Amino acid sequence: MKTIWFHLMPYPELPDDFTSEHRSVWVDIDPGLFDPRVGHRMYNEYIDELEFAASVGFDGVGINEHHSNAYGLMPSPNLIAAALARTCPDAALVVLGDSVALYNPPIRVAEEFAMLDCISGGRLVAGFPVGTPMDTLYAYGNNPATLRERYHEGIDLILKAWTADDVFSFNGKYSKLRYVNCWPRPVQQPHPPIWIPGGGSIDTWEWCARSGYSYLYLSYFGYKAAMKTMQGFWKCVEEAGRPANPFQAGFAQFFGVADSEAEAIELYREPAEYFFNRCLHVYPGFADPPGYKTLATVRNGAEGMVERAAREASERAAEAAKKSERKAAQQSFSAASHMSFEQMVEKGYVIVGSPDQVAEKTIEMAKQLHIGHVMSLCHFGNMSRDLAMHNTELMATKVLPQIRHLWDDEWDDEWWPTPLPSSQRMTPSPFPATPR
Amino acid sequence: MITHVPWKAGSLEIWEEGEGPTIGYVHGMVCAPGRLPFVAELAGRGRHVVAPSLPGYSATSPSSDIRNVHDWVFALSEIVDRSGLAGCPLVASSTGAMLALELAAVRPEAFSSLILIAPLGLWRDDNPITDPFSTTLSGQRALLTNDPAVTASFFDDATDGPTVDSMIQRYTGRTATASLVWPIPEFGLAERIHRVSCPVTLVWGSDDRIIDPSYADLIAESLSDCRATHVVTGAGHHAEWDDPVAVAVIVDAALG
Repeated sequence: MKTIWFHLMPYPELPDDFTSEHRSVWVDIDPGLFDPRVGHRMYNEYIDELEFAASVGFDGVGINEHHSNAYGLMPSPNLIAAALARTCPDAALVVLGDSVALYNPPIRVAEEFAMLDCISGGRLVAGFPVGTPMDTLYAYGNNPATLRERYHEGIDLILKAWTADDVFSFNGKYSKLRYVNCWPRPVQQPHPPIWIPGGGSIDTWEWCARSGYSYLYLSYFGYKAAMKTMQGFWKCVEEAGRPANPFQAGFAQFFGVADSEAEAIELYREPAEYFFNRCLHVYPGFADPPGYKTLATVRNGAEGMVERAAREASERAAEAAKKSERKAAQQSFSAASHMSFEQMVEKGYVIVGSPDQVAEKTIEMAKQLHIGHVMSLCHFGNMSRDLAMHNTELMATKVLPQIRHLWDDEWDDEWWPTPLPSSQRMTPSPFPATPR
Repeated sequence: MITHVPWKAGSLEIWEEGEGPTIGYVHGMVCAPGRLPFVAELAGRGRHVVAPSLPGYSATSPSSDIRNVHDWVFALSEIVDRSGLAGCPLVASSTGAMLALELAAVRPEAFSSLILIAPLGLWRDDNPITDPFSTTLSGQRALLTNDPAVTASFFDDATDGPTVDSMIQRYTGRTATASLVWPIPEFGLAERIHRVSCPVTLVWGSDDRIIDPSYADLIAESLSDCRATHVVTGAGHHAEWDDPVAVAVIVDAALG
């Protein structure tokens, strides 16, 4: 099993009264809450953490793309990936997205991913998410009625750009290019492995199964709630006549490792509560614009991850409001939407404990979901760099050795990058002394 | 009478009521054939009302080849012809009124006159049109009319709740509206609206929460033959839902 150290890059200083004074962490969050000095510190610390994770033995480092979002401050994951390509010499670079429909023309994605694959010597995983409604429709103005068609057309263009032997014309509905000629071209041939992050769309399961792409369920709500989604995906794989290779699937999970369970609960309570109770404060009105879901998904009643986040927040608020009425007392939304750390642990949102406990639960999770790629969130919320590195080091040195072997005897990871041999890969070297 | 005629790969739904001179009605953000008192009111005043359902709404098939306002205008042009509405007067509401203006700009002979209820299509930075989708479903419905009971009457479900098919139908209708208004319902009409040559009457609900009644002045100034602007007191965005009689009286006056 491969473990990727995955960073969301949340803004760490949202005010305590954020949920009561602001309606959403996404789309229309008050720009005045962003302090560029905090941003300077935050980006540098977060890159430190990713580099540290690669140095202590994680199989890969992972990043993603969000817009107008205080819990995901990577509008351009490729910028971060470019830095990591130089400073993490061996880890896979798992870039989850680029959100293809947001790039015009999408050949830009083919070019930048090819650059990353060249710089890194063939260590790129090319992630192509549709993107959330908040990112694609509200922040970037795509039309929900055409988003998915635009997305699929963009991926077709990218794949052809990477693999065509000659310059070609692309006459799509959304991209019309007289000359397509991708320079540079990726090191990995015919192209880097393709992972599709998703949130529960049936059509995405079927498409991944049929096309042989790796499906990645990026839920924030833990492995216990992910069973239905992953069973849906594996059913599609079976119907597509493909083997149930666990490396064709991945899952995102929060981890908090300490010397003991009691210490883990003490250490990770605050950052987890910051993330789940403050960073996921998404205005429900943004979560489900018409046209975003395919009709198959609507028909099935499947829910996207973010919609669920918004709904759970509003349900908790509604539940608390009823209590409030009974008590005839005012209660803030912040308190109403509060979920305790114990509840998060009980629901499996966060796996916490000693290294042995975490390893045991992680293997249980991987077997239940039948996944070969774990997107490990060892930083979350407002966790300090020191704590993130402590968590990361314990995970790398005491958990990964216990879980890495899973699936090795049964399956090959066909979705992992195939870089140049290390002897052929360039690494940053110190500049020679300036000649006098 | 509701009929379904072949159209593209699916079918086109057309609701007809009454006898007399033909007048068209093109719905706005919600289409409810057979359930709109305004159409019955027009029919009761001696008119043959023809009300086609636009692609994606009610039982008219969604059309996968509609990707932009140009495609929408072309679709409406075909629907006008298939419905026998070419050269007739037309009442159109909200997004439907926007499409009617767009079509009349490129095909000035399409309608003999237009009665437009709160048409979208122009934009003022100092008074932007409300985003009708960045709210909950109940919030979206609350924007449509001034009287919540009126809107609710269009979403009545069977006693055992909505069926999967009715939920899908509503979803495709909302998707069609989104495709028309997302992200900003302005596609260059300001540069074409002067080509609308038929007489136009504007109708606005005084309590329109989607597009401010002050837009009426902007549209009236842009048209070459705007005959009148009527504000329906107490009505919301879909004034013909809130006050069907008042709007029918305005239609009568406009058509003589």
